Amino acid sequence: MTDAIIAEGLTRIFNGTVKAVDEVSFSVKQGEVYGFLGPNGAGKTTTLSMLTAVLGPTAGRATVDGLDVVEHPQDLKQRIGLVFQESTADQDLTGRENLELAAALFGVPLRETPKRVQELLGRLALADSAERLVKTYSGGMRRRLELAVGIIHSPKVLFLDEPTLGLDPQGRAGFWKIISELRKETGMTVFLTTHYLDEADGICDRIAIIDHGKIVATGTPSELKDRVGGDVVTVRPLGNASALEPALRALPGVTAVSFVDGAFRVKCPSGDALIPKAVGAATNLGIALAGVSLRRPSLDEVFLEFTGREFREDEGPTATDRAVFLSRFQDARRGRR
Amino acid sequence: MNVRRWGALTRRELLKISRNPAAIATSLMLPILYLLLFGQGFNFTSSLNALPPDQRTQALNSLLLGAPDYFSYFAAGMVGFVCVTATLFVGANVIFDKLFGSLKRTAASPATATDIFGSRLVAGSIQPVALAFLVLGLAILLGNVGLAGLHVTGGMTVVGAVEIVVAILLLSLMFASLFLALGFTIEQPQTYFALVNAINLPVLLTSAALYPWGAMPAWLQGIASYNPITLAVEVLRINLFGGAFYPDAAWVYLLGLIGWAAAMFAIATILTQRALAPKV
Repeated sequence: MTDAIIAEGLTRIFNGTVKAVDEVSFSVKQGEVYGFLGPNGAGKTTTLSMLTAVLGPTAGRATVDGLDVVEHPQDLKQRIGLVFQESTADQDLTGRENLELAAALFGVPLRETPKRVQELLGRLALADSAERLVKTYSGGMRRRLELAVGIIHSPKVLFLDEPTLGLDPQGRAGFWKIISELRKETGMTVFLTTHYLDEADGICDRIAIIDHGKIVATGTPSELKDRVGGDVVTVRPLGNASALEPALRALPGVTAVSFVDGAFRVKCPSGDALIPKAVGAATNLGIALAGVSLRRPSLDEVFLEFTGREFREDEGPTATDRAVFLSRFQDARRGRR
Repeated sequence: MNVRRWGALTRRELLKISRNPAAIATSLMLPILYLLLFGQGFNFTSSLNALPPDQRTQALNSLLLGAPDYFSYFAAGMVGFVCVTATLFVGANVIFDKLFGSLKRTAASPATATDIFGSRLVAGSIQPVALAFLVLGLAILLGNVGLAGLHVTGGMTVVGAVEIVVAILLLSLMFASLFLALGFTIEQPQTYFALVNAINLPVLLTSAALYPWGAMPAWLQGIASYNPITLAVEVLRINLFGGAFYPDAAWVYLLGLIGWAAAMFAIATILTQRALAPKV
């Protein structure tokens, strides 16, 4: 059985200079839920757009359900479902009319359309609001309608682009429950992009972490967490404390120490046991601490491990950017003195 | 081409148009204001009533190509103009569909660019025909409520009525193609409306919709005789009043309109295909 999605050296350059996706290669097995995880601007949506024949690749090739995305865009669009990150339903049409339109566009047989539309409206808890114009729908209802439109023709591969963006936790949980059920029933392949780590962790069979247009790591969520190697204790000193680093490194069980965003990240098999030792080391050196925290391996840690920066900082300057800025600022102040 | 997709997309367009009464009111507002204000105030031919009948007829023939009075002549022009104001929203809808994402959805479906463009063109050309007849009806009605109104003096035939419908349809098709081409290529509503305004008035003012034919300078007559609004309006005038500037044969005008519609359709098709093709 061939893989549901195969991408080989997929590249997209915008305006001749901006490399949004840089030679990305991966494959997704039939029936698998595959997550593309990365911060905004990492190239997730660009990759998804190329896989769904919305955007042409600059280089490389990709097949979805055995069809080349460049050579057979029309056939491809027939076989896949696509849920965009924004609402694309017609505001001036009712929920039912939107679904009927989608059924016609995706070639659901005319005779089966009313039944299929009603079935999806019921399943996605939209039956009571089916005759209301979409502009009166709440955010959660719109998301569910988007999903209904995306799966109206029972696609073999479903693409979800940040499908739960802007939903409350309850709405997100409900959305993923429906996806899980559908997947169990139909065995469809799901390719999703997200920047919610917990979502990727909970729903994906495999994850690719993408940053600056490149895949930096792939694996199952637990494989990726294993690669981080144990707990991470973050020791945040008050002021300059470079002397603390060798002391931390010397503590028993410590496998690595790095300095990120004003704090030492200390990796070790058992964080609980390390905390008192780390505090002791700082006290011995006369270094005051602002705080100490323990993190179990999570995808947050995975992201930090493979990209060198905190996941939630994706919208601002990176930790490195800030460190560079800060050191220059301090240099300048010292120079003035 | 897929008939079901066309049907579904055309239905969508018509549903959207019918649920937006403000757009319909806006497209009717300008022609109706013209009829109620400009037409009433400018109906100068009533001053010719003092002339002896044969002189009066001669004056009307040379100035208005046989229309019984200026208002009637001008009202036929407004029926043509409503095709412009009504098709304008077809292009605007494309831009709003881009902004609100629904065009993205359709473009990601198996629907082809031809399906997407064609269904909008069909919906966009049908609606102005209804509005044109509404304006025509209103112009006739005004004459019955003590205001200047449109007087049908020619011998209207069934063929004549069909010619009028075809002329309005062709004119709407041409402008719908033009505005759709703009809608698919322009991203910002403000750019679109600025451009539409820059097109609207010059097209109206270089046509024979407003001006008495006999009073136009020769150079303007030259331009106006190729203007698509003139061509459609003349088909109306031949049938309503029995006169036109060109030998009284509607088919000449209809042929001209077919040419305009075909040219604009071709340009719009190319631009739309390009706009809807996967971005490379």
